[in-house]
Amino acid sequence: MQMVDKDKPSPQLIATMRKQFVVEREVDRALTWKMEKRAGAPFTKLPLEALVKGVTALIAANLKSPFEVRNAHWLAGGASKLQMGFELAWGRPGVGQTTTKMVLRTDLAESLHATSRLREFQIVNAMKGTLPVPEAFWVDVLGEHLPYPGIVYGFAAGVTKPSTAKSGVSGLGTWMPPDVRNALAPQFVRDMAKLHTFDFRKAELSAFDIPQTGTENAHWAVSWWDRVWAEDAAEEVPLMALASSWLHKHAPAVDQLSIVHGDFRTGNYLFDEPTLTIGTWLDWELARIGDRHQDLAWSTSKAFSTMTEDGKTVLISGLMPENEFLEAYEQAAGLKVDAKALHYYQVFNAYSMIAMTLGTSYRVAKNGKSHQDILLAWLLGVGYMLMDEMRGLIEKGV
Amino acid sequence: MEMRPQLQIQTVIKAMMEDVIPAMDQTNQLAMQSAQLTIGTLMLISQHLPLEYRYDCDELARLLATAKTLATQASGLAAAGQLAAASSAGADVLDRARAEPSEILDAIRSLRAATADTVRAVYAEGSDKVQSEVEKTVLAMSKEQLLRDRSWLLMQGWEPNPALVPAIDSLLAPIAKG
Repeated sequence: MQMVDKDKPSPQLIATMRKQFVVEREVDRALTWKMEKRAGAPFTKLPLEALVKGVTALIAANLKSPFEVRNAHWLAGGASKLQMGFELAWGRPGVGQTTTKMVLRTDLAESLHATSRLREFQIVNAMKGTLPVPEAFWVDVLGEHLPYPGIVYGFAAGVTKPSTAKSGVSGLGTWMPPDVRNALAPQFVRDMAKLHTFDFRKAELSAFDIPQTGTENAHWAVSWWDRVWAEDAAEEVPLMALASSWLHKHAPAVDQLSIVHGDFRTGNYLFDEPTLTIGTWLDWELARIGDRHQDLAWSTSKAFSTMTEDGKTVLISGLMPENEFLEAYEQAAGLKVDAKALHYYQVFNAYSMIAMTLGTSYRVAKNGKSHQDILLAWLLGVGYMLMDEMRGLIEKGV
Repeated sequence: MEMRPQLQIQTVIKAMMEDVIPAMDQTNQLAMQSAQLTIGTLMLISQHLPLEYRYDCDELARLLATAKTLATQASGLAAAGQLAAASSAGADVLDRARAEPSEILDAIRSLRAATADTVRAVYAEGSDKVQSEVEKTVLAMSKEQLLRDRSWLLMQGWEPNPALVPAIDSLLAPIAKG
């Protein structure tokens, strides 16, 4: 594993990765793009004007009428994206001359998630009318107009945590006061149920491959993170080899395919603080067509959990006890929660998070590819706690 | 252990240069000087860190050679007796310091890779019984190693119940005498 130069991957190495790991076509494209760009320059701070120029070019390529980009400003974009807020004065179809608040969200030289902006654009548009999502206006899939691939969204108001809440870096482990969590928990369950019962076959999701019913979706998912780990990790970890083998061996057959968000947790929705209403679901870049238990398991991960005030009860995603969550979900979705599948996806989710933290965070920070290398290097540390969680889950058996 | 000082120092320097210093009050001379010295110190640490062990062994070897010469030149003096005792202890330490840290790390990485390849091979070709045995072996080894990894990073605050994780100095075996 140490013999290949992952910082300057050769065409042969890239070809080997593509051949070795069977993943969805658009996932393959995004990961290949990452590897082909890796030997390039590290991330350098972009002037705001560069993004304004890029977004102007992107809008001009899509809009035939006159427009003006105004009041551009930086927004905090988290560890994996750059974000710029701006106002667009334009003749909006069906509305007429108006000014719309928008957000440009772009990749970095290399991101924590090497994902497809096309998939993100399609899934957000597909969910419109089913879940509250930001309006996705235009996408630059290959970075033809912007410095890096990106999407222009409508601005969504709201907060990810109440002003009185505490949380770790990157929104992990957000603690919610009782009144807030009591109001948000039922909406969290309701929205997950809506997502998993959405009829994706009628939606425009050409960037998503539909797995055959059975275990194919699980193998694709595991292979996705197998490949990320193989491309990004600094050193081998025997437990990761065991986990991958275990996941392929025990892949469960899915009873009903669903849209899986991939990062369904507190921190990835915006809510209106006065009314405590969830107004927008964010961060769709890990979405895929797969098994609902992936989202259920993700929401219940220790990494996103908090404790009640008396320190006795674990609250999944900072909202409610796990048993209450699963019961409420079954009722709302009309779908069963299978304990074996839930356990399997708990192992899978830990595996993918470890690949992201110990693998990708390391590689991106080492090569100076992001605007927050120091945060990524700090986040490496959570990988060991996650790995111990995964070890315990495998030990528990199937 | 992926989280090593070389990477951490590199990212701290970048954050200082690209985020912190440009946002500082450029007219505050003391703060600006301290920030520059912070970067300089970190660069120095980064340069020294990989060589520190070799540097110390090199000096120890020179001192031992000198002590040998001095033992003859100053024989009969009380101080020579103390020098001989210190020399004997130092020689024992140097004798045990045979591998450089980078060699140890290379050996760890090589064994990790070979272990991982073996696990994959067993899952590809081995019987259920052998797979089950290998699973137990790897899980047991990982449990011990992860306890140390988590303790090493305890200060970061990831552990839901830090009281359950022993302090790192109580977990690491001392380098044994030959």
